[in-house]
Amino acid sequence: MLDSILGTLGISLSGSGGLLWGSLVIIVGALVGEAVFRWVGLPRIVGYALAGMGVGLAGYGMAAGGLSPSLRVIVDLALGLLLFELGSRVYLRWLRTNPFLLVTSLAESLLTFVAVYLVMRWAGLDGPAAVALAVLAVPTSAAVISRVASEFGAAGQVTERVSMMTALNTLYAVFASKLLLAWLDLDTGQNPVQAIVQPLYVVAGSVLVAGLLGYAVARVARGLDLRNENSTLLLLGLITLALAVTQVLNLSTLLVPLMAGLWLRNTTERPWVWPRHFGTAGGVLVLLLFVIVSTSWSIAALAAGAGLAILAMAVRLAAKAGAVLTLGWFSGQSIRQGLGLSLALTPMSATALVLFADLQVSHAPFAAQIAPIALSAVALMELLGALAVLAALRGAREITPQRGA
Amino acid sequence: MSLETFSTSEPLTLGVELELAIVNRHDYDLSPSSADLLRLMAKRKIPGDVKPEMTDSMIELSTGICRNHADALGQLTEIRDALVDCARRLNVGLSGGGTHPFQDWSERRIFNTPRFHMLSELYGYLSKQFTIFGQHVHVGCPGPDEALVLLHGLSRFIPHFIAMSASSPYVQGTDTGFHSARLNSVFAFPLSGRAPFCTTWDDFGVFFEKMTRTGVVQSMKDFYWDIRPKPEFGTIEVRVLDTPLTIEKAAALAAYIQCVSRWLTVEKPFELAEDDYLVYTFNRFQACRFGPEGTFVDPKTGEHRSLREDILATLARLESHAIELKAEAALDYLRLELERHGNDATWARQVHAREHLLPELVRQQCQRWSGELQID
Repeated sequence: MLDSILGTLGISLSGSGGLLWGSLVIIVGALVGEAVFRWVGLPRIVGYALAGMGVGLAGYGMAAGGLSPSLRVIVDLALGLLLFELGSRVYLRWLRTNPFLLVTSLAESLLTFVAVYLVMRWAGLDGPAAVALAVLAVPTSAAVISRVASEFGAAGQVTERVSMMTALNTLYAVFASKLLLAWLDLDTGQNPVQAIVQPLYVVAGSVLVAGLLGYAVARVARGLDLRNENSTLLLLGLITLALAVTQVLNLSTLLVPLMAGLWLRNTTERPWVWPRHFGTAGGVLVLLLFVIVSTSWSIAALAAGAGLAILAMAVRLAAKAGAVLTLGWFSGQSIRQGLGLSLALTPMSATALVLFADLQVSHAPFAAQIAPIALSAVALMELLGALAVLAALRGAREITPQRGA
Repeated sequence: MSLETFSTSEPLTLGVELELAIVNRHDYDLSPSSADLLRLMAKRKIPGDVKPEMTDSMIELSTGICRNHADALGQLTEIRDALVDCARRLNVGLSGGGTHPFQDWSERRIFNTPRFHMLSELYGYLSKQFTIFGQHVHVGCPGPDEALVLLHGLSRFIPHFIAMSASSPYVQGTDTGFHSARLNSVFAFPLSGRAPFCTTWDDFGVFFEKMTRTGVVQSMKDFYWDIRPKPEFGTIEVRVLDTPLTIEKAAALAAYIQCVSRWLTVEKPFELAEDDYLVYTFNRFQACRFGPEGTFVDPKTGEHRSLREDILATLARLESHAIELKAEAALDYLRLELERHGNDATWARQVHAREHLLPELVRQQCQRWSGELQID
């Protein structure tokens, strides 16, 4: 009825819906974020997540229709920026001077995969579904780490190690998910050659685009001071262009920015310094990312999958903690740092959501099968992940007194 | 607390202490990793010691007792190699330099020991600003009176030590115009400056008694003088040098101090007088501000000359002592440095003029410290 009244005046809510609701979400998100930071001392992203949770629980969230393409673009871009920044802070030669880091990384990812797979099978899921959920559980979300660390000025061994291990387990997870897609294709009787070529194409193509992006950024940095606003605009444009190309060529929007950052960091010795999140534009995108990911909260999904999701996440934490704590001593880590690192590895949501969305696009019915558990896990970890990272960094005493206050 | 007795030590032996900056490998800002570094170093066997300093991005290494230049360089090399190896395992870098070119002192954290917390309480922001890095050189003395005589003799050469070691032109991202801006932080402390003109330990004891009676001072550690007696080691400690960018320079400067000490002890070329200190602060300022191009006023004759001239003249006078102490290589090194860049501060400015990026300067400083980057 409201619609018809407004219709006579020429006002259509559904038409202008996007901008209206979008702006409201931004405002509410920012306000809640500030309130949470000022009064409870938690990272602002918890506030953004609460705003998204509200939207999701009210029924307008992801469970209603999955991750729509327009929202997917925002998620890709925001996560892309964060992955690029993360990659640019990962010095691969450190894996050579401290070999146990690589061992720990492989151990935690493998253990997580195996543990979640076994638990899901025990809970009654069939092979492919268990494998898919296990793959989604492997990565750590670069978004939360990056955001909490920069908001609270974190510095120290836990911050360094979690960045390294996040970059690595994101790489493993993307490879694994491409293999999973190939396997599902073979299962459904697809052309075997295509099923095998597809993941190879994605990886090789992503590496190529990433290399080009990294090279382009390096060229820009030669001539321009990256700390000034105009240059960061250029950088932002380059990354967006790369992501657009990635989408057109059907490559991995996670691999490209991460590998571009890695390429940049590891092919030159000269330090890279640019404003965090590329300045204000990036900051807004990050806010939107957290809100969107949190709209995965839905009563229906929770009802169907919350129990198993909680179980899977608990097992995931145990697996990661187990690997980190037993192997940590060999890589020069203290126990306190080991505990901190285990907690800091728990966020999962943004990366897992993108992998899930890829699954939805190519194998919709299969994705619908695991949707309740996957979305519940994503929703839970979005909220808990930020808190865990903050607890980890505070516990390991890696937060600057001024900004952490 | 009364003045401790002066221990015995073998004359003209050396001890070198160096404070280093710990930086991350991404943007080369200071990294709060001293506790981690100390934990890894605890498992290593080194000829000296590593200790924490006021804030947790600083670490101090010290050699054992060194007989001569080669001994000092050898010990420093061993300790440096162990530290660099541990730092690589933690993905952090180690850099010399009297200051960190762009760190924000307000972000520093006090290292968690009672003494440092007490100092932080007392000195407020000065303690965080004290994230500066210096070289301290201990010289062994046969007795307390000789120690004080040597102390006052060496005071004439403080500008030399400052100018040759200066490596702190940048503070908080800006060129200060100074060669050694570090010393400006030291001078802010109330008990900085120089020792009173006493030439016997008894006289010094009287002074110390007065200072402790007023409650201003509890122990010798509270004096932040440029040269300070260290009774428990039986040495005097020259504290005025910036940490150089390489251990080679650190060892060479220690040997220079050793040669000057020998010259003063054996030949007694100058007669000590309180009036020598009239030009002290002027000369010191000139050295901090202009390095080797600063003006040096001769305390005896009042003649003005450039510091570079006075250093070169001194190097010439030290030849015979250098031969006795096997320090010719050290003096040659210092002469060459003086000709090429003058000092590390000038080198730093040249790098910045080329690269326009202070993190890149710190990166190159780390490379020079670890020995990966050799400049000609």
